[in-house]
Amino acid sequence: MKITDACVFPYPVGDSSVRRFALEARSLGYDSLVAADATAATICGVNIIPGVILVGVSAKDVQSRAKKSRGTGGILSVQMGDNGFNRAVAGTSGIHILRGIATADKQAFDHVAAKIAADNNTALDIDLSPIIFGRGHLRQKAIHRYLDLMVLHRRFEFPLTISSFAGSVLGLRAVRDAAGLCSLFGMDEIDVQAALAGVSRVMVKGEAAVRVI
Amino acid sequence: MSIRPPTLREKKRYVLARIDPAGISPDPKDLYYAVYEAVVSLFGDMAAAAMQPSVLSVEKGCVILRCRRGAEREFAIALSTLSGCRDTLLTLRVLAVSGTIESLRERIAEIASRKDPGDSPKDVVLPSAEGTSEPSLYRFGSEPVDIIVWDGRKVDALEKGFKNARRLFLTTEDLEIIHATTIPDGL
Repeated sequence: MKITDACVFPYPVGDSSVRRFALEARSLGYDSLVAADATAATICGVNIIPGVILVGVSAKDVQSRAKKSRGTGGILSVQMGDNGFNRAVAGTSGIHILRGIATADKQAFDHVAAKIAADNNTALDIDLSPIIFGRGHLRQKAIHRYLDLMVLHRRFEFPLTISSFAGSVLGLRAVRDAAGLCSLFGMDEIDVQAALAGVSRVMVKGEAAVRVI
Repeated sequence: MSIRPPTLREKKRYVLARIDPAGISPDPKDLYYAVYEAVVSLFGDMAAAAMQPSVLSVEKGCVILRCRRGAEREFAIALSTLSGCRDTLLTLRVLAVSGTIESLRERIAEIASRKDPGDSPKDVVLPSAEGTSEPSLYRFGSEPVDIIVWDGRKVDALEKGFKNARRLFLTTEDLEIIHATTIPDGL
């Protein structure tokens, strides 16, 4: 089973090179990383998956970008917005991950968006950086959002991914530490393993529930 | 104060953690305040009082911490939220939990002597050219860098910028030698 950190930011955005990220990730138990603005490679036994994050674009731009990036082998993520935007994006074919639920509105991701995400095999990302680096209200809000997310996940079973959002190797956390942090909002070992394999799950094109023959 | 009999004593567990990045040796007292702040901000005063976190010693790039038996998991979770000590960015990687300090000290000695097979270990802190007029020997991308720590394949370097210098985490393959020449000897 793949164990993937769903978002890291190597140099020049961060202060660590892709090779160093791969070296550290291997020692921490990961076998693949989604690296923003990186090229696909296998370094030190760790698969580097190129990732793109769309921030502040309209739903129409998201759809056109998804069409362009189809078949490239990378991960296309979108930063969440309001409820209508999230519903539209979750149903867009080619969008792999929705990010930023920790800072989104309370109503940004509801049961309708959850159903759409489950049908379209679009994952929701659990960003550990607010829990690791945040304090006070910021961390409390993130934990509350993730608790709510887990309620929807258990009902609709959309994919989840776990990311460290690390710009440095110091921001990476071992698989065991990530599991411990995820237990703070109700994820057990099975949930964590499934979430760590979430990137490989969304990269596989899902089959339609009904096929006309 | 008289020592309690063994059956009434509070049982402790000792946690061994590696300090990243290499070469950083924080003051144990400062590290204790950082650990305590991490525990209290995540779990609150009640849990911190029950956990009784403590920093015992910092040696050879590792730190030995202590907590109450039964609270190791929560303590490790709190340690994973620690991101710095005073103004120094650092991370603690939990390596082992034991009931005795002696076994952790043996583990530290084992780590210090272990060499990664296939690498050419160079566990030497090279002096940087910072503050001198000597040019840097290595380059990352298009920028010259000064090597701070070189540990096997891992290289920590200082990138010189216009405003300030930042620490870069690289590997030996990322570096280029400045002024390298391919002219063979004899010419």
